[in-house]
Amino acid sequence: MSLDIGAGELLAVVGENGAGKSSLMNVLYGLYHPDSGEVSVDGRSVRLKSPGDAIALGIGMVHQHFMLVPTLTVAENVVLGREPTRRGLFDWERAVREVAATCERFGFVLDPRARVDTLTVGSQQKVEIVKALHRGAQVLILDEPTAVLTPQEADELARVMRGLVAQGRTVVLISHKLKEVLGVADRIAVMRRGRLVAEVRPSETSATALAALMVGESQRAVTGHAAASGEKLPSDALMEAVGLPVRGDDGRPAPGGGEKPGDVLLEATGLQARGDNGCPALRGVDLAVREGEIVGIAGVDGNGQRELAEVLTGLRPLTAGRGTLLGGALTGLTPAQARARGVGHVPEDRLRRAVVKALSVEENIALGRHTGPPFARGLWIDFAGRRERAQTLLASYDVRPPEPTLPLQALSGGNQQKVVVARELDARPRLLVVVQPTRGLDIGAVAQVHARLREARAQGTGVVLVSLDLEEVLALADRVYVLFEGRVTGQFTRAEYDEREMGRRMLGAEQAHG
Amino acid sequence: MGERTRQALPSVLSVLLSLVVCWQLIALTRDTDGTAVATAAYLEMLWGGIGDWPRFIEGAAVTVLTRPLGEAAMKAALLTLTGLSVAVAFKVGLFNIGAQGQMLLGALAAAVVGAHVTLPGVLHIPAALLGAAVAGAAWAGIAGALKLYRGVHEVISTIMLNWVAVRLVDNWLVVGPLRGVAEAGASISGTAEIHPTSQLPRLLGDSSRLNLGFILAVVAAVTVWAWLARTRSGFETRAVGLGDEAARAAGIPVARRAGFAMALAGALAGLAGAVLVLGTEGRYPGTLGAPYGFDGIAIALIGNNHPLGVGAAALFFGVLRAGGTRMQLLDVHKSFPELIQGLALLFVAGRLIWLAALRRRSTPTVATAAPPAPAAQVPHA
Repeated sequence: MSLDIGAGELLAVVGENGAGKSSLMNVLYGLYHPDSGEVSVDGRSVRLKSPGDAIALGIGMVHQHFMLVPTLTVAENVVLGREPTRRGLFDWERAVREVAATCERFGFVLDPRARVDTLTVGSQQKVEIVKALHRGAQVLILDEPTAVLTPQEADELARVMRGLVAQGRTVVLISHKLKEVLGVADRIAVMRRGRLVAEVRPSETSATALAALMVGESQRAVTGHAAASGEKLPSDALMEAVGLPVRGDDGRPAPGGGEKPGDVLLEATGLQARGDNGCPALRGVDLAVREGEIVGIAGVDGNGQRELAEVLTGLRPLTAGRGTLLGGALTGLTPAQARARGVGHVPEDRLRRAVVKALSVEENIALGRHTGPPFARGLWIDFAGRRERAQTLLASYDVRPPEPTLPLQALSGGNQQKVVVARELDARPRLLVVVQPTRGLDIGAVAQVHARLREARAQGTGVVLVSLDLEEVLALADRVYVLFEGRVTGQFTRAEYDEREMGRRMLGAEQAHG
Repeated sequence: MGERTRQALPSVLSVLLSLVVCWQLIALTRDTDGTAVATAAYLEMLWGGIGDWPRFIEGAAVTVLTRPLGEAAMKAALLTLTGLSVAVAFKVGLFNIGAQGQMLLGALAAAVVGAHVTLPGVLHIPAALLGAAVAGAAWAGIAGALKLYRGVHEVISTIMLNWVAVRLVDNWLVVGPLRGVAEAGASISGTAEIHPTSQLPRLLGDSSRLNLGFILAVVAAVTVWAWLARTRSGFETRAVGLGDEAARAAGIPVARRAGFAMALAGALAGLAGAVLVLGTEGRYPGTLGAPYGFDGIAIALIGNNHPLGVGAAALFFGVLRAGGTRMQLLDVHKSFPELIQGLALLFVAGRLIWLAALRRRSTPTVATAAPPAPAAQVPHA
């Protein structure tokens, strides 16, 4: 593939997971080496052997996962690797002055003396950008920069990017979020399966058209699946993926919910638990989930959603409150008991909680279910049964490549997530707790995950959906709880959905008029 | 290139490289005929390890084969057991530096059961082995419990327990309460001689020290391999070692798996002590100087912490060390096998460099998706 990036433009690169966006950018940043072809900067052919070469040529990269030292200050992080010195010693004051100057020059509001671990995610990202600019980056590559940001922070980032372009810098933005790309980019490059399939200007296209370009032939898989589950996909999927909520499932009442409510799977009152830092994270949450409904948990990041999911899956002990989960007590629940009772879990932190990346794909599919058929026979692993089940699931969830013996870390993030969703749903859970199930996924994978969750609901599974993406919650959930500082500040049924009111509740407006 | 080959290749290349380097070093120590002497020394080392085939073919007695083979096999058995000890702990994410201390305790237990308990032959050996395994497991269990309940890092505690073991066993029990008394009141060093019923039977006649301990080590390696690769609990153990949070979320009892692996590690090291006492020493000697427990760390790493790899590495270095003494015939110091082992360990530690070199050769079908630096190869520090 070939791609030109003009000076002083904001180019967005969009494409599905595994389309090659990140590989392309890693080539530009010197992390990967092209098998063939060449990279030219300012018309000169260059060989980028390492990120050092790229930095020397004025190419800076902001990774999806920040590369910052949390216990150092902003200034220290920015100058790390090229610290100003005085008589051979680190000149802290000069570092602070220099970084402050850089911040001012590009219009960033950052305190160079602040420790990075005290900053919000959005500010940490600014530190990353300042770091690249401080090293003289003319071309700035941002990999999925808004995946971790709140909507307000994302808007702020868009302003920052436009500001940089106005100052003559070049910005390359890798993203899945088409709406956002359309709003900010000068030009959009669409990649599919390692090729550049289109270059368009935002004024000449729409989210739906871009989505169609991105999905290409894999759209067939989505369509095929939708036909099987009787859902109104793929248009739904496309609309959702581009951030346009599909309201009310066309007014169809949820199976098992609505008219004829199913059995109560979970009923809890006054749940309290501590967060990782030891401070109360849940301060009295009442919650009920029935068979065949999707219950959304909405809220701004860090308001107790993660802790709630961990309490329900036995990973975090309760400090107060009580509940009944699938016929047993919620107090003292262990992860093994939760699984035995039929709780499935798609956790937020995939690599830490959901998978063991050094184990093979099939071993990860067995993880948590490895004690019974088809994964084990008595005390022994059933290799044939495991392989067969893995192959079935990989094919059914369109995991690429469908190789059960590959180490899981060889798969792209989206495909890893498909493996997790496949494993959890294959266990036919009665209650499924999913946290941020589509974060960082591409459009095709998002549509597939959403379709699978609806399918699970249709089969009677109760789903607890925790998502920071309010539109995702609204599109999928039959009922929504809004969490703020560890308390429920609002409850909405589908008929009562009101984005603005929910937003107010998410910011703590508890007593407001509905 | 298959996954297994790719895993084993860095170790094989490291060993070969260290052989070349040491060959060169021997050659450099000579004013004349350096390379010829080095080659001859290597040949002596080989015949000293796998049996002197040239002399046997010339008509010498079969003992020229069985004696060296016995020496090599017994060293290999001890290295296998201590190497497995380190490898098993490593699989669950723990670094067992304490195989030496666990071996000492196991050796003492075997010596006590062998000398002070009277049992028929069929039961005496199993009882002594069991005693050694339990003693080793208990000693490792101290470090395991400190880790699980108090968060004490196992590297620190196992190193300290090694010293405690030396003081406790060599400097007190063996010279004090458990000191053996020979007939006629003459004192001997070490504990009392074990009963013949507890001696591990020799397999190749009296002139070769090859005994049941070698079979025991082979069985241990295969059993540990089968457990890790084929059973549910082995899978759980590996999952805990590679990602304990994910294992916990999957309902695996992380603490129990870690505790069991640590106890098994201690039991294996304890068995090494039993093989030493019941197979060759016949009692706990005045001091048990042989640092097989520390060698186990090197063997485990060279064997890539794979039970069968550990067995292969132990066999190789068992042969080298048994043959090393014969190099002295050519005025070459007998410590060269240890130097080879040390260098091989050093090169294996550069595993990431090997892997990077190997990856560059093979077409990056998967490599493009893999993270640039597989830091997971580094043991939990």
